[in-house]
Amino acid sequence: MRVLRTVAILAANSWQENLRSRFFLLSAVFGGVFLYVSLLLGVLAVDQELRVLLDFGLGFIELLGLSGALYGATTVILREMESKTITLILTRPVGRGPYLLGRFAGLLFSLLVSMGLMSAVHLSILFWKGWAWSWDYPWALCGAFLKVLVTAALGTFVALFSSSAPTALTIAGTLWTLGHFLPEIRFMIPWGSPWGIPLHLASCVIPDLQLFNLRDRAWAGSAQAEPAVLIWLLYALVYSSVWLFLARQLLRRKEF
Amino acid sequence: MPEESVLSLESVTKVYLRSHLGRSAATRGVEDLSLQVRPGEAFGLLGLNGSGKTTTFKLALGLLRPTAGRIALFGLSPSDPAARSRVGFLPELPYFYSFLTPEESLRFYGRLSGLPEKGLQGRIREVLGALGLGAAGGRKIAELSKGMIQRVGLAQAILHDPELVILDEPVSGLDPLAIKEFRDLLLALSEKGKALVLSSHSISELEKICHRVGILKEGRLARTLAEREWREAPGGLEGLFVEAVRP
Repeated sequence: MRVLRTVAILAANSWQENLRSRFFLLSAVFGGVFLYVSLLLGVLAVDQELRVLLDFGLGFIELLGLSGALYGATTVILREMESKTITLILTRPVGRGPYLLGRFAGLLFSLLVSMGLMSAVHLSILFWKGWAWSWDYPWALCGAFLKVLVTAALGTFVALFSSSAPTALTIAGTLWTLGHFLPEIRFMIPWGSPWGIPLHLASCVIPDLQLFNLRDRAWAGSAQAEPAVLIWLLYALVYSSVWLFLARQLLRRKEF
Repeated sequence: MPEESVLSLESVTKVYLRSHLGRSAATRGVEDLSLQVRPGEAFGLLGLNGSGKTTTFKLALGLLRPTAGRIALFGLSPSDPAARSRVGFLPELPYFYSFLTPEESLRFYGRLSGLPEKGLQGRIREVLGALGLGAAGGRKIAELSKGMIQRVGLAQAILHDPELVILDEPVSGLDPLAIKEFRDLLLALSEKGKALVLSSHSISELEKICHRVGILKEGRLARTLAEREWREAPGGLEGLFVEAVRP
């Protein structure tokens, strides 16, 4: 209970910081930009207007969510270490594991709210244009959020592993990009070569972000009907937990 | 490990290892340092820059791990949260979240220290009032002066009524009036039976507050002095300090 309370206090503090910073300005900017672009698209897309609006909007929400996850995860703890605000936390009865989880939970919650706000703007425009509600929409958002979860966990580990925020951002950004091509990367690794097995094992480090493209699946068929969704969810949870566990091990070794 | 000590260091050595471009360099923080602080005692650490005062505090609080030796905080390892829950810490330059007000900061630290929600607001008001921050409680920390930030630093250190308060250069950069007020507060804490461990470059401050003073020289404890010793010495604590650190 004590650990959970600590995690909740730290998460609430991160949320408060994001609420007072420019974090949520992005959502407002998104609203404005999207409103403007949607009007342009309405003219250009003619009979495919809704489809374009749907794909464009969900893609934009996902991209902003992922950018926030990458930036937030790679900077939040490093910034706290550099500013030394971490010392007043770790000299209290706060373990390093709960500290890490609290900051991670705060970042995820902020991203969840930000993506929720952006999707509210998106949905308003879609309904205004005459779109009929489909449950595939929240499934597509869930897929985007699972990507955010996985990316944030990976970014948190990389931040503690690397020496500076730009390095962390570069490494995490590279792995995030590779994550969108993992099946292709694995396809190119020949099993027969002496490096086949080690390279396939090494590829497990890269997150398989294609799995969470529920947006594509949603409009191709029905994402919610696929039983594999549970497996993807499990993959996201296990993958994130492993990186967070490793991040905790690194943080435990750090000196301030 | 003596049970009567609130803080105990036994033959503690800390070596910082830094590696850059394949080269590694070792710097000694403290070496073979042993000291005990008893409950209710005000213990001062005196030393030149780089003598190991801050390293000693960080080791005591679990922010650094010793290369050798043993450290006990209330008989427990400093990495044990139960031990740290009984300690308050004021770093040399306390950094706070600029987006918070002193009141919000204290609420955050109070909760992290395990203070119950009921009564927390009252305790915050009490501490802010005692430190002369009553009117500034609702202002953003970014808008406060150095002296006021130092007061917020002391407020967060004593908010949870700890048995041991560790203060690294608590009066550094304060004006004479603020120094006097800080000293009175520390004396009041000491009178309440709280153990204090503090470092300062101001010898006269340590003379007025401490029961014992340890003199650090190049990471080693050169000498430990009781109040009676510097009171009886012709040059006071200053004379004994110069004698101890002079090459």
